[in-house]
Amino acid sequence: MNEIDGMLLVSLFLIPLLSAVFLMLVPSRERSFIIGFTGLSSFVMFIFSLYIFLSYDFSSTDQFQGIFAIPWVSDIGIIGLNGIQLKVGIDGIAAAMILLTGIVILAGTIVSWKITYRIKDFFILLYILVAGVFGTFAMLDLFFWFLLYETALLPMYLLIGVWGSTRKEYGAMKLMMMLVAGSILIFSAIFMIFTEAQLGSFDLELLATVDYNRNFQILVFPLIAIGCGTLGAMFPFHAWSPDGHASAPTAVSMLHAGVLMKLGAFGIIRLGFQLLPEGAAYWGPGLMFLGIVAALYGAVSALKQTDLKLMTGFSSISHMGYVFLGLGTYTVIGISGAVLQMFAHGVMTALFFLLIGAMYDQSHNRDIPNFSGLATKMPVWSIFFVIAGLASLGLPGLSGFVAELHIFIGVFQAYPIIGGLAVLTAAITATYLLRMFSTMFFGPVSSKWDKLNDMTYLERVSATILALSILFLGLWPSPWIDRIADSIQIGIPGALM
Amino acid sequence: MGLFSVIGMQQAWLLTIVPIFGFLIVALFGKRIPRQGDWIIAAVGIFCLFASISIIADFQSFFHGHGFEPNGANVLSFEWINIPNYLLIEYSTFVDSITIVMLFVVSLVGLMVVIYSIGYMQGEVRYHWYFSLLAFFLAAMFTLVTTGNLLQLYLAWEAVGLGSYLLIGFYWEKQSAAEAAKKAFITTRIGDVGLLIGILLLWRASGTFDIQTIIGLAEASYFDSTYLTISMIFLFFGAVGKSAQFPLHVWLPDAMEGPTPVSALIHAATMVVAGVYLVSRMLPIYELIPVAQNLILIIGLITALLAATMGLVSQDIKRVLAYSTVSQLGYMFVALGVGSLSAAMFHLFTHAFFKALLFLGSGSVIHATHKQEISSLGALKNKMPITFLTFTIGALSLAGIPPLAGFWSKDEILLYTGEFGSVFYGLLLFAALLTAIYSTRLVIMIFFGKPKDSEAYEHAHESPKIMNIPLIILAIFATVSGFFIFPFVGQLFGFDDGFMGIVYLYHPHVFHLEFTTMITAISISLLGVLLGYFYWFYEDGRRANNASKWAPEIYNLFLNKYYIDNFYQAFINKFVLGLASIIAWFDDKIVNRSGIDGSAQILNYVGYRLKFLQTGKIPNYVLMMSVGILLFSFILLINY
Repeated sequence: MNEIDGMLLVSLFLIPLLSAVFLMLVPSRERSFIIGFTGLSSFVMFIFSLYIFLSYDFSSTDQFQGIFAIPWVSDIGIIGLNGIQLKVGIDGIAAAMILLTGIVILAGTIVSWKITYRIKDFFILLYILVAGVFGTFAMLDLFFWFLLYETALLPMYLLIGVWGSTRKEYGAMKLMMMLVAGSILIFSAIFMIFTEAQLGSFDLELLATVDYNRNFQILVFPLIAIGCGTLGAMFPFHAWSPDGHASAPTAVSMLHAGVLMKLGAFGIIRLGFQLLPEGAAYWGPGLMFLGIVAALYGAVSALKQTDLKLMTGFSSISHMGYVFLGLGTYTVIGISGAVLQMFAHGVMTALFFLLIGAMYDQSHNRDIPNFSGLATKMPVWSIFFVIAGLASLGLPGLSGFVAELHIFIGVFQAYPIIGGLAVLTAAITATYLLRMFSTMFFGPVSSKWDKLNDMTYLERVSATILALSILFLGLWPSPWIDRIADSIQIGIPGALM
Repeated sequence: MGLFSVIGMQQAWLLTIVPIFGFLIVALFGKRIPRQGDWIIAAVGIFCLFASISIIADFQSFFHGHGFEPNGANVLSFEWINIPNYLLIEYSTFVDSITIVMLFVVSLVGLMVVIYSIGYMQGEVRYHWYFSLLAFFLAAMFTLVTTGNLLQLYLAWEAVGLGSYLLIGFYWEKQSAAEAAKKAFITTRIGDVGLLIGILLLWRASGTFDIQTIIGLAEASYFDSTYLTISMIFLFFGAVGKSAQFPLHVWLPDAMEGPTPVSALIHAATMVVAGVYLVSRMLPIYELIPVAQNLILIIGLITALLAATMGLVSQDIKRVLAYSTVSQLGYMFVALGVGSLSAAMFHLFTHAFFKALLFLGSGSVIHATHKQEISSLGALKNKMPITFLTFTIGALSLAGIPPLAGFWSKDEILLYTGEFGSVFYGLLLFAALLTAIYSTRLVIMIFFGKPKDSEAYEHAHESPKIMNIPLIILAIFATVSGFFIFPFVGQLFGFDDGFMGIVYLYHPHVFHLEFTTMITAISISLLGVLLGYFYWFYEDGRRANNASKWAPEIYNLFLNKYYIDNFYQAFINKFVLGLASIIAWFDDKIVNRSGIDGSAQILNYVGYRLKFLQTGKIPNYVLMMSVGILLFSFILLINY
């Protein structure tokens, strides 16, 4: 297999960026043009991400592939020779995340075409956000990494504040304040690492070669873990997540829960694990503890939620808890599981939000007890929902199980009791989901919802893309596992058990 | 055997793949296919029976002369997940004597149910969805019985659970069906937590999911014995959930909300015996740990007794049969608990036929009368002769009347339990008495006496051929399948021995007639039938009504299912949802309002207070400046 071309990675985040710039020049009355253009653009992004994922060579022993660097700032003051560069390159983890982003943005774009209010501005912001996401996954320079990380976060404020629903100003403000607070911690950590290394460079590969003082690592790792963990909705820094999801528009919820939250966990791996292995090993049990608390806490809270989006929000906290649980094991299998869970939760939760959006747009109601007999009224919608739900409760053969299995195995190696609790969480997940199913989908058909229609053609297309990803990962996970596990073995030498 | 040599043990995976394709085709395109694709699923059923028989024939010739080694043959495997040096999970199929018994049961009952359903489900909404789900279930069930490793077993285990969930909830517009489906899935899921924990614990110590490797390691004392005991008890907990044993038996009676053929297939003959199958598979390990094996014995015994008493008073045909199933599964666990793999598998084998027969027979009654309360049935003997005849054969087989199949297998279980301990033997005999009583009660209440609901009676008619033929075939099996215990019958079919010589753990059991046990068992069964006759046959069961007034506390205890369901409901409402309320309150009040909003409000408040310093009046600023200068001078002065 050929090595990935670095230009491909650069173009991956240039496509959405240039698309956004180009959209700015299009008159907003050209609605059909905007739709056609965004369709093309998101499809190209999807194809590129798929190509990158497939052509990633997991037999290679290089940690990063497709490395490509453009010098940016060098030799000024404290900044040394390779100071700041626009340097891209990916490992298997990033390849999986890039594919996830490609899938979710394609599905998200398709369902956003029904937006009537300022569709052009919506897509401009959405594509800037996506450029940030793709960039963060591909970037190997901490300066640009942080720049693009923030680029991915900031459009969220406007997207929720303008196009959102239910307490959208509150949700947007809360989300933004908490995430920015987290960013401050990451920013401090990056500069502490930069100073400590004394290389005058932000190059991640160079910084990873430095053997940092153990105490320094133990001090700095929590900054990254909490900073990135806030974006990953890590307990107790999760509070923005249910409210943010509840108020965000469909595509933004999809992208946010599906991809952005993974950016947080990805940050922990990229910065925390790869730069500060001893710190990660030291704090592993702590991360695991927060993970299992979040998993149980989110699942039990979800039992009590009646708003469909809030329930999914708490469910996300629970599932992201699994991610931190897997990361905290600091073993090859556990971390592989965490990355798989990032992917699995990404497609699954994107499907959830897509479906909730498809229903909410018609009914303007998300209160679970209000509905009954929807399986008769909206059979296709219900089937997709059941697929997503079954993936969420860890049914074997669907994506969630493969991920959870690796996490469970990783946890069981060291802490069987925590592992037992994690398995129990899956049963609680089944409880709240099946309660919801039997209330909403089953039971007598309620005449109140006579006007509800099943999913539109476009919604079915996007839902199919996501559902197929769920099935594919669930039935044949090797393409993911080969890439991810290989990169973890090479890139995180501390995790050897 | 030329026809059957196309598909051998190597091709056992076909049993998964072919039904899956049937499922996909009918589920996706069923509405556009003529007859909504029921014939596709029937063809799948015929294929599966054909393939199962071929595999059995192949197995037979493969092991002929070697004796039927319990080791069986690992016939296919490929890598599913491989992280070199860390984790290897294979997809594998495995065929041994337990597998072939299961294959025959699943494929025969499966085909009968599919054919029967064509008549029973005629004109139902979502007809194609029903048939596609049957195929999905069959695929999962065949995977479950041909698997070689525990993880794949878990996969199939959950998949049959999903099939069961969707089929129980088939009439989802009915609130009770939706609730029953949910209850079934969640209850078995609780058992599955135990199963997965057990599997992961075994992996943790051994590094493999392969069942035969794990058994080999356990026999070589590789595991710490306490550790192994804990793991195997967790594993057993999964079996308790799936096979509806006490204390997780509560879902099975409610599962009767599903269409009746489904109850016959899933909730009598196949899925519910998955727990028995699992414990049978792992029995070489349970043999090594007496604590776990005694637990199996006790759980089985409690279940057999409790369920029989509940079946005695239940007013719904299908629920009586469901309690009976729970009780008979308890018998199988008792057999496993005393270490007799062959007796358990034999009872599984015969029970599958007569219980499927009883369910399909009750379906025929329900189809004809649209009633399933026994208090509104009666006197159907002449209206539905074929149903009556076959149902009676099934009921007598269940009651343990010779020479019907149930007698032989129950006798084996009693025999081995008797060797184990007389208390268990006595209690099991008592359960057998109850079984005979409620079987008789059922037959009398449905087919004899006076019609209690004249409208239902007038409406009643014999079912169509497509439903009666499966009944007749199953009645034949409910009669003759017990004869497999005789070595010469086994040899007739080309095996080396009778059932007990085919399915065994360490050395084949030589079948011999133990007269004491046999006479006792026959007497007990006859006594039960006579008691049932005495109490229910005359005066429309007034004697039974009087008897129930004799001790109303006990009667109510049975009728209310020992209040176990109520206890669980209270536990969920009070404890689980209470805990959820506390956490939801904590999240709202402490984390959100105090933590997040609170910190924002503090900032707001501090800003509000501090803004008063910004008065805009020059004298104020000068004053502050002067105070500052004085303060700093003072500090400097001291330091100086």
